Amino acid sequence: MSERPTFSPMWSRVRAMKPRLRSHTQITRQHYRGRRWHVVHDPASNQFYRLTPMAYEFVCLLDGKRTVEETWHLCLETHGDSAPTQVETVELIGQLYNANLLKADDTPETDQLLRRGRERVKKKAIGQAMGIMYFRIRLFNPDSIFTAVEPIVRPLLNRWGFIAWCVLLFSALLALASEAGALFDSTRFQGAIAPANWPWLMVVFIISKIIHESGHGLVCKRFGGQVPELGIMMLVMFPAPFVDASSTWAFASKWQRMAVGAAGMIFELAAASIAGFVWLATLDTGGVVNQFAYSAMLTASISTILFNANPLMRFDGYYILSDLLEAPNLMQRAQNLIKYQFQRHMYRVKNAKPPTIQPGEKPWLIAYGWAAMVYRVFLFFSITLFVMGQMFGLGLVLAIWTAAVWFVMPLGKWTHWLATSPQLADKRPRAVLTSVAAVALGGILVGAIPLPDHRRASAVIESEQFTGVFAGADGFVVDVLAGPGEFVTEGQPIAVAENPELLAQLEQTSGQFRELEARFKSAMAQGVPIADLMTERRAVLLDHLRFLEERVAGLTMRAPHDGYVADDPRKLAGEYIKHGQPVCTVVASDDIRVVASMDQRQADWLQTMSFQDDFSAEVRRYTQPGEAFGVIEFVRRDAGDRALPHPALADVGGGQVQTDRQQGRSPQATRPRFLVEMEANFDTATTSMPPMPGERVAVRFSLPPRPLLGQWVDRLRQLVQGRIDI
Amino acid sequence: MTGTPSIPAPAPGQAVSELTRYEVMFQALRARQRKPVHYTGLDTFAVKARARVDRMRTTRNHLLAEAKRVDALRSSVANLTEAQLDEAVRTAREAFVRGRVDPDQLRHAMALMREVARRETTQEPYLVQVAGALGLYHGRVVEMATGEGKTLTGSIAAPLIAWRRKRLHVLTVNDYLADRDATSRKPIYARCGLTVGAITQELSPQDRAGVYARHIVYGTPKQITADWLRDQLRIGKLKTPWSGRQALARMGNRPEAAQFAPLVPGLHAALVDEADAVLIDEGVVPLIIAQARKEDEMGPVYLTAARIANRLDEGPDYTVEHVRRRAELKRRGRERLKDLFAEEEAAIWKAPRRAEELIKQALAARHCYLRGHHYQIVDGRVVIVDEYTGRYLADRSWEHGLHQAVEAKENVEVTADRETLARVSFQRFFRSYRFLAGMSGTAIDARGEIETVYSRPVVVMPTNMPLIREQMPTRIFRSSSAKFAAIVDSVVAQHAQGRPVLVGTRSIEVSERISERLEARGLAHQVLNANFDATEAELISQAGRGAGGGAITVATNMAGRGTDILLDDAAREAGGLHVILTELHASKRIDRQFIGRAGRQGDPGSAQIFASLEDELVVHNAPQLAAFIRRRTAREELTGDKLARLAVRRSQRKAEHRDRVNRGHVLRQDDWIEKHLPGG
Repeated sequence: MSERPTFSPMWSRVRAMKPRLRSHTQITRQHYRGRRWHVVHDPASNQFYRLTPMAYEFVCLLDGKRTVEETWHLCLETHGDSAPTQVETVELIGQLYNANLLKADDTPETDQLLRRGRERVKKKAIGQAMGIMYFRIRLFNPDSIFTAVEPIVRPLLNRWGFIAWCVLLFSALLALASEAGALFDSTRFQGAIAPANWPWLMVVFIISKIIHESGHGLVCKRFGGQVPELGIMMLVMFPAPFVDASSTWAFASKWQRMAVGAAGMIFELAAASIAGFVWLATLDTGGVVNQFAYSAMLTASISTILFNANPLMRFDGYYILSDLLEAPNLMQRAQNLIKYQFQRHMYRVKNAKPPTIQPGEKPWLIAYGWAAMVYRVFLFFSITLFVMGQMFGLGLVLAIWTAAVWFVMPLGKWTHWLATSPQLADKRPRAVLTSVAAVALGGILVGAIPLPDHRRASAVIESEQFTGVFAGADGFVVDVLAGPGEFVTEGQPIAVAENPELLAQLEQTSGQFRELEARFKSAMAQGVPIADLMTERRAVLLDHLRFLEERVAGLTMRAPHDGYVADDPRKLAGEYIKHGQPVCTVVASDDIRVVASMDQRQADWLQTMSFQDDFSAEVRRYTQPGEAFGVIEFVRRDAGDRALPHPALADVGGGQVQTDRQQGRSPQATRPRFLVEMEANFDTATTSMPPMPGERVAVRFSLPPRPLLGQWVDRLRQLVQGRIDI
Repeated sequence: MTGTPSIPAPAPGQAVSELTRYEVMFQALRARQRKPVHYTGLDTFAVKARARVDRMRTTRNHLLAEAKRVDALRSSVANLTEAQLDEAVRTAREAFVRGRVDPDQLRHAMALMREVARRETTQEPYLVQVAGALGLYHGRVVEMATGEGKTLTGSIAAPLIAWRRKRLHVLTVNDYLADRDATSRKPIYARCGLTVGAITQELSPQDRAGVYARHIVYGTPKQITADWLRDQLRIGKLKTPWSGRQALARMGNRPEAAQFAPLVPGLHAALVDEADAVLIDEGVVPLIIAQARKEDEMGPVYLTAARIANRLDEGPDYTVEHVRRRAELKRRGRERLKDLFAEEEAAIWKAPRRAEELIKQALAARHCYLRGHHYQIVDGRVVIVDEYTGRYLADRSWEHGLHQAVEAKENVEVTADRETLARVSFQRFFRSYRFLAGMSGTAIDARGEIETVYSRPVVVMPTNMPLIREQMPTRIFRSSSAKFAAIVDSVVAQHAQGRPVLVGTRSIEVSERISERLEARGLAHQVLNANFDATEAELISQAGRGAGGGAITVATNMAGRGTDILLDDAAREAGGLHVILTELHASKRIDRQFIGRAGRQGDPGSAQIFASLEDELVVHNAPQLAAFIRRRTAREELTGDKLARLAVRRSQRKAEHRDRVNRGHVLRQDDWIEKHLPGG
């Protein structure tokens, strides 16, 4: 329990004052986790202040006629120990006054008012500069618009509207489920997010966000709030509209507050559902409308779910969650709690002030705090790396700025706190030691302890010798003798097909031939001169017979040489196959190569290290990510070529290598590549499917263990190399 | 000379109390409207940088060069007749009053001041003093070594500042000095058409109003700040000068008008003597105006608290932090208290938090406040003892029941608690002046703080004559008794050479111990306990006597401040004054100040510091290190011991740091009040 000293040295400043709440402030009662709170709201300045019941009582006793001292004594008499102490009273008065909620005296405190105004502007500007990732530009006050529109939609903004919305959403989901194949068709999806479609996406995004924000605004209005601000937020340089619905905080019911928070998503998902129906309706005709509806459906649903619903950042999901849990100021309190835990347990600061938490809140508050922190780091890296990939210079500036605000500044503050905080007073040596030890430990972990160093590259399987097995004739496959991955020797039958027609034909033809032969023979025996025509006919028949025999033989498909059966011939069992149709491939087992293609920057280590002495490698197949195949031998290295070993590696072929499409037919990498040809041990006993030439695989090189720091520096250098001069 | 209206100067010596009530009110309210800004965070760097730029512009070399130029004008003013000089002064004054002064005029005026000082006091300021005065005029904090004649420096700068800024407060360390300087400088000021007065403790409010109306007012920071603070209470909620005038007009000549009217006509300019002591050291404790609470029946409560506290055991029930002067209850103590509280009848013991607070206070009173050291019982009353000077502070009391807790502990009558009516920190008060300059012997050690808190650059002036004082190595002892024995031996040895010896102590208690030991050795000596009166000044000025075997003076460090110790020929021949410091102070600056009493004005002299592991400073700040040293060696004298030196130095540095942190705390609190609370 922290101390609550009764007396304050600042008491003399407030004791004779006769303050009271400003007359236009509104107080609403709210309940959080069974506890009563009172929110004081100044609609003019949109300032809020949350009071405990005790503070509320104190503030209510201030009527402009009693002095603070008299009021304090009144409280003491009635409440004894639980009455606010002088220190708490001074703090309360100070904060209310500073939020312009308290009227102090008869004479207006003009210069203090003005100064606070200036400070608020300054604070806002600093906040803007710090949050460059979500820079806000205020546009206008949309309150009158919402006031005008709200009565029109009001009939919908109730529980029936909500039920209708649920019905809409579910019916849309059901309808879409029936077309799931088309919905999740990857080419369609690729097409939707292809650069060519970006302008469309942009339009769709902005429209859906306008719908989203009007949702907030309208519902806020519906419950009697105000929407004093509309503007554009530059989300990582991407414009998105926003409205200020903070007057919601004064709503008494948490369901109303949550409704306002969720309204944006509700509206957006409704729009997505409608777009879904439009898409379904135009699925057959296709065209622009269909395309547009598809984009709209995606944007309005995915972006909302991924982004707004995420409670780890201060967007809608966060406010909904904090209302749902009845935990206001979730983020701040979680952070404070973690900070407090550090001070309490790591530094053993006795008089650390715990944030106000209610029983049962602690575990998930801590969990939330850590999750938000980890998410923040994740977000930082993913966003900056993404932007760096697109526009390197801008990404770098963003990264440095955000790193400064998110990481360096808190670190600096922490150091400052360690060095100067009077809280630490007698614990400072211990605190400094603990911190230094922690940092040193971290430093050792990162900078000195060697950890496995892996590099990855995408590769493709190649084989010098692989032969397709094709159907020798049309027919129904009746028997498959070899499964995929099975080893076959040359001539071993793999599949047998039947074609009665062909057999009948053969029968008929051989009958005809026999008949002709008989006639031929009898003619010879009779000495009848054989007509040319007959000889000719015999030759033709023989030819045809041979052809048919070949076809019939072709009904049994055999391995052209030793090797593994690739592809699954069994899938053809019972099927009708046409002549020349591929049945499977037989891959010569002794000739499989894995060819990895790496960016030269990623592969400079390869120049200096030798295989097996310094590093090992393993191959994993995308179809069987659980299984690794060791690399036995390095066959060849090749540097500086832009050609890719296989089109499957190129971005157009679904791979990861950026290519220029203009240069000729086969895709060429934009930067010279480093090729490594390896021989891997594809142990057939374990693989259900033998490797197929042209199959994309991942290669993982295990370099000698190195401290993480070195690895990171290396990676950073790779990222920056060759770009810094842009 | 037509068209230029001359500003009438009051005839010398004429009492200037024509300042109307309105004017005083107007000025007081205007001063109140000024809100000093405290810079935090990155702004401190900006302020420091600005001070540095300022410092570069008006460097010591620049000031010295200017002083030389002033010196060049010497012959031109020296030959003036008295009437001509008066006329020249009047002309210069007009320029300053108008506020437009070019460098030539300033030099000329300074040369005139020098001449006035020479004629009126027969002391002619040295070049260094002229440079110092110029620095003061430019609003610097000037460091001049002790004994370099700060009083004279101040008195030639003061008229120029007073002309330019209308009114000047000269802040001195004690009432005696204020009175003495105001009187001794009067001829100079009178010649400049300025009136002067001193605010001392004894003055009645009516007399004070008269003194404050003068151009130059001498006084201690406490007196002037308290008067200003009382004014603030008086004028209450009035904001604008206009509302003040209205309020006065409404009252007319009714008797309460006199009660209502403020005393201090604004805070125009301040010239602070011993700037670091006033601006920095005093900054830890804010000045408070309090009154006894009317309805108070708490007496029995404090007695009960003392009784209950006596039943707790130190160790298992509670721990005591001597440095922070507070007690901390342990779990067992809390448990026991629950039962003890249950036995009591009074309602207050049913409120556990408040009750525990009372007990903690009683424990603090019991363990951290010592009779004879922190307070004394005089006529059945608890009287606080000033830790710096060792004097009784009869009109002061501790706040928030602590005083009552001590009274309960001593079983004297428990007085009513006093409630604070107003408070102001010295930092804030001095920043309210439009113009601030200062002098000190040791400003440079506090430069960082002076520059950030007061935005005043510090300039260090060279000494007029080279310093030849010998600093003997610090001697460190295991116990204080060994230290005192060595001190007395050292006094005897120096005395035998015929040198006068000054022994500086931190408290009256120590002075008495030394005195007893000297007595035992049969040495005649004087003991001074910082009463700040003429006798004391007389005695301290005699401390440099060498004739007749060399004087021995034992004095607390504040005793006789501001008075020169003059050496006679016998003393000078014997090697000058020897200063012994019996213990390190909480700040290096105070040590330096005391040591500075030897070797003034190029006189010979020497100084030595004695310290022991039992000194309060070491006991409070480096107890573990001291214990370690004690275990490690059995020697009585640890002078050569590196660890012992470290312990002593470290404890001083720690104390300095703690004071700095406390001052920062006061400043931040000020800032918070200013930002968050209405009024002020």
